[in-house]
Amino acid sequence: MRLQRLRDWAPTLPDLRVFGGYLLAAAVYIAIGVSVTDFLYSFWVGVAYIVVAAWAVPTLVRRIL
Amino acid sequence: MSWAAHDLEPYAFQKHMGLSVAFVPLLIGSYAPDMMTKWFVYGIHLGPWDLKAHDPAQFHRGWPGFGFTHSFIYGLAIGLIIWKVFGSKLWGVSFIIGQFAHALTDTGDTVGTMLFFPWTFHFHIGAWAYAGQTGRTTDAAAYFSGLGSMWDLVWLVYGLICWRVLTSSYFDNVIYRADPFWPWLNRRIPRGALITLYRAAFFYGSSRWLAWTIWAHVIHHYPYDLSWGGPHWVHAAHP
Repeated sequence: MRLQRLRDWAPTLPDLRVFGGYLLAAAVYIAIGVSVTDFLYSFWVGVAYIVVAAWAVPTLVRRIL
Repeated sequence: MSWAAHDLEPYAFQKHMGLSVAFVPLLIGSYAPDMMTKWFVYGIHLGPWDLKAHDPAQFHRGWPGFGFTHSFIYGLAIGLIIWKVFGSKLWGVSFIIGQFAHALTDTGDTVGTMLFFPWTFHFHIGAWAYAGQTGRTTDAAAYFSGLGSMWDLVWLVYGLICWRVLTSSYFDNVIYRADPFWPWLNRRIPRGALITLYRAAFFYGSSRWLAWTIWAHVIHHYPYDLSWGGPHWVHAAHP
């Protein structure tokens, strides 16, 4: 029963792929932010960054390929 | 004050309240108390002028000052305006929940909030030091060395445990269905971008938490002080 619940909770491969993309985007965001802390202050900079990194770039790459 | 909890809490509320709240006003409510004040607490340079509150803690949380933005009555007033002027009870109630969460979370520091304004008593647990008056860099270093950052971490871990709230199927079945704002926005912006926008605050809060922690403890070696009211190496403001 518990194992079944754990299986229901655990992410699937496509879920993990999406998560991996966000992790990669987060790693770059953190690297920039640690170097230039001004980058971390603005919510709107964060929103713009993630829209570009997690949506615009992958969409563009898919279209090109 | 909190640095990431206000970004992350709305996802937890959303998970438990499902279709009965709308995410966007919940998030706006969660940010609302600091929207008008934070820049003046830390100060900004505008050409030759330096604009900064003379007493940042008093300005941010006190009266006279803008401390009323962290009270229940402020959340109720703005929520009621949203409900009556824009005709959306869902947005009004969601805003109130988000704003209440912010006001309650900020009672965790040494200054606290005037929850029952116009009664000017500051409710404060005093778990972490309020150091906004020291400027944003020292404030960041202090916050990410004390219990405040651990409180943020609770929300971050809880969000990851409830990871389904961030999936595209949750977005389609709950977030999109609960609020007509999303179908309206979908006429202008593709679905993929909407999902990214929905996840943005979680991304921002969690990435920023990690970045500031690395900055404070790997790059600059500020000492952790997880004792009550700490870190004690910074001057904490009190009401």
